[in-house]
Amino acid sequence: MNNTAASPMSTATSSSGRNTGKSISFATELQSMMYSLGDARRPLHETAVLVEDVVHTQLINLLQQAAEVSQLRGARVITPEDLLFLMRKDKKKLRRLLKYMFIRDYKSKIVKGIDEDDLLEDKLSGSNNTNKRQKIAQDFLNSIDQTGELLAMFEDDEVDEVKQERMERAERQTRIMDSAQYAEFCESRQLSFSKKASKFRDWLDCSSMEIKPNVVAMEILAYLAYETVAQLVDLALLVRQDMVTKAGDPFSHAISATFIQYHNSAESTAACGVEAHSDAIQPCHIREAIRRYSHKIGPLSPFTISFSLTECLPQEWDGFSSLLM
Amino acid sequence: MASAPRPERDLRLLAGCLPPYPPPPPTVGLLSMEQQETYLELYLDQCAAQDDLAPPRSPLFNPVVPYGMYILNASNPDTAFNSNPEVKETSGDFSSVDLSFLPDEVTQENKDQPVISSRHETEENSESQSPQSRLPSQDIGLGLNSSSLSNSHSQLHPGDTDSVQPSPEKPNSDSLSLAPITPMTPMTPVSECCGIVPQLQNIVSTVNLACKLDLKKIALHAKNAEYNPKRFAAVIMRIREPRTTALIFSSGKMVCTGAKSEEQSRLAARKYARVVQKLGFPARFLDFKIQNMVGSCDVRFPIRLEGLVLTHQQFSSYEPELFPGLIYRMVKPRIVLLIFVSGKVVLTGAKERSEIYEAFENIYPILKGFKKA
Repeated sequence: MNNTAASPMSTATSSSGRNTGKSISFATELQSMMYSLGDARRPLHETAVLVEDVVHTQLINLLQQAAEVSQLRGARVITPEDLLFLMRKDKKKLRRLLKYMFIRDYKSKIVKGIDEDDLLEDKLSGSNNTNKRQKIAQDFLNSIDQTGELLAMFEDDEVDEVKQERMERAERQTRIMDSAQYAEFCESRQLSFSKKASKFRDWLDCSSMEIKPNVVAMEILAYLAYETVAQLVDLALLVRQDMVTKAGDPFSHAISATFIQYHNSAESTAACGVEAHSDAIQPCHIREAIRRYSHKIGPLSPFTISFSLTECLPQEWDGFSSLLM
Repeated sequence: MASAPRPERDLRLLAGCLPPYPPPPPTVGLLSMEQQETYLELYLDQCAAQDDLAPPRSPLFNPVVPYGMYILNASNPDTAFNSNPEVKETSGDFSSVDLSFLPDEVTQENKDQPVISSRHETEENSESQSPQSRLPSQDIGLGLNSSSLSNSHSQLHPGDTDSVQPSPEKPNSDSLSLAPITPMTPMTPVSECCGIVPQLQNIVSTVNLACKLDLKKIALHAKNAEYNPKRFAAVIMRIREPRTTALIFSSGKMVCTGAKSEEQSRLAARKYARVVQKLGFPARFLDFKIQNMVGSCDVRFPIRLEGLVLTHQQFSSYEPELFPGLIYRMVKPRIVLLIFVSGKVVLTGAKERSEIYEAFENIYPILKGFKKA
C-alpha cells in the first residue's frame, strides 16, 4: 500500500505507528458509513481499510499542527479555536464546520425542551450551555478576522453544493429501497465517529502527545473525520464513473468527469455489459482519487503545496474545485 | 420496522395514538346555573386539596377539545373570546372529566352542538352522534345559531369568582383557556388527519409567587425537596399528583415542568405555591404562564426523510450522524417538529395547544407524500 506516498501530507511515522500493536479498527463501521454515503450495499473491506488509513493519517497531521498552534499560545489543551484557526483559509469547509456546530447546539436546545429530566440536568450543570459552540466560534472568528470575510460567513446563506449533491444522492438511493432496506440504510447513516467517542479517542492515540484536545475539539475532530470519509467517497464515485468505458456513447471522451451521470447508466451498462453503479468502490478508485485530488482532500488541504495538473491549468479549467469543495 | 436506536430518548415520551372516542363521562351533561356554581366551588376546593385530585381520564378527553374549539371559534369569534376566562372554572363540574377548557356555551348548548356529544351524556346527542366521524358534526357545528350561544354566555357572567384571572384581555395567561384568542385561520377538516391527534407530553410553565423565599428553610421543611446551592441556586421540589417537578428560586419565581395538560400544570403550580405558603411565606399566584408545550404522535407509516429534507430544505435539517430525527422548523405556527423515520413525530415550542394541532395538520399531508411503502 503506497497511499502514504500518494498523500503528500502524510508522514511515514504515522503509518508505521499504526501497524505496531494497534488493534482498534474502524473498518466495519467505515463499511457502513460508506454505504450510507453512496457506496454499494456491501462496501469492500479492503476499501474500508484504505479509507481508514487515509483518514487516520489526515487526523494525526491535523492534531500535530493543532498541537503546535496550542503550544504557540501557551495553552494546555487543544481547543476548538485551534482547529478553527487551522481551517481559516478554506471558506467552504469552514462554513460547513460552523453549520455543523450550530446545528449541534440547536439540537441540544430543542431536545432539552422536550424532556424535563434534560431540562433539569442542563440547569444543574450551569446554564452556560446554550449555544456554547456557536459562542466559541463567533468569539474566536471575531478575534482573528481582519478583513471581515470570516464573520460574513455567519450570515452567509449560500447553498453548499457538495452537501446538496450528497443529499440528492441519498434521496436517489433511498427512493428505490423498500422499508426494510431503508431501515437498514438509516441505521448506517446514523453511524459516526462521535457516536463511538471513546473508541475514536483510542484510535487517534493521543497518549503520545503532550497536548490533548478537549471535549468540543474532539467533537470537531470526529466531524472532520466523517467529512473526510464523505469526501473520499464523493471523489471515488467520480473516478469510478470516469473509468467506465461507455462503448456505445460517441461523446464519452468529451464529457467532463466532473458530474456524475445517473441517467445514462442504463445505456452504458448495456453497452459495456458491466453494472457501473452497483459495484462497490475499489481501493484503486480511492487511490486514483487521492492521486488526482490530493490537494483537496482532508481538513488540512489549504496548507498543502501541490503540483497537480489542475494548478497548472488556466483558471477556467479548474471547475473541479467548486464541485469538490 | 426496526427503527431509531437508543439515543432517541424521545421514544419513551411517545405514547401510542389515542382512540378517537373516549369513554363517556360519568356525570350527566346538562346543568343549571345554580348547579354550575356549586360545582365551581367544589372545583376550587378540589384545587386546594392535597393529593389524588387529577382526573384519571382527563388526558383522554383532550383530543375532542380542539375540534369543538375550532368550530366554535369559526362561528363565534367574539363570544368565544369573552367567554373563555369565565368558563374554564365552571366546567370543572364534570368531576373526573377535564372539561375546564371548554367554553361554557358548549355545556349549555350541548343539544345543538353534536361535536361535543362524546363528552355529554344527553340522550339526543349520543344517539345521533357517537358513531359518526367528526366531519358531519363539524358541518352541523358550523350551522350553530350564534344568538343562542350569546344568550347562554350572558347567563354565565355572575358565576365566577376567586381564582379566575379577572382580565379577559389576557386569557392566554390562564392555562385553562384553550381557545385561541384570535379567530383561527381557516382550518383543514379534521378528517384529513385520519383522526390522529397529538398527545401532550410535557408542559413547562412559570409563575411568580411574589415574595422572597428562604430556600434553605423550604428545603429543610418540605418533603421531596432538594437544594444544593453549590450546583444550582434553586430548590427542586416534586409532587406525585400531578407528577411534576418545580424549580423554586429565591426571588419567588417558579418553573413547573412535567405536567401533561395545561390544567394539570396550573394545578401543580398551585400545589407548590400552597406548600410554600404553608411554610410561612406570603406566596401569591401571579402571572401564571405556559412557556412551552410538547406533544407527540405517530403517523403509523415509515417516512423517507431524505426526500423530505431535499424538498423542504429551507425548513428542515437532517443530520443522522447527530440526531436520528429530522428537525423541521415550521414558520406558521412557529413550532419545531422532530420527525423520525419510524413515523413518530414530536412537536415542541408551542405556547398553546392549538398550535400543536395546527402544526400537525400542516405536516401530515407532507409526510404522507414521503411515505415509505
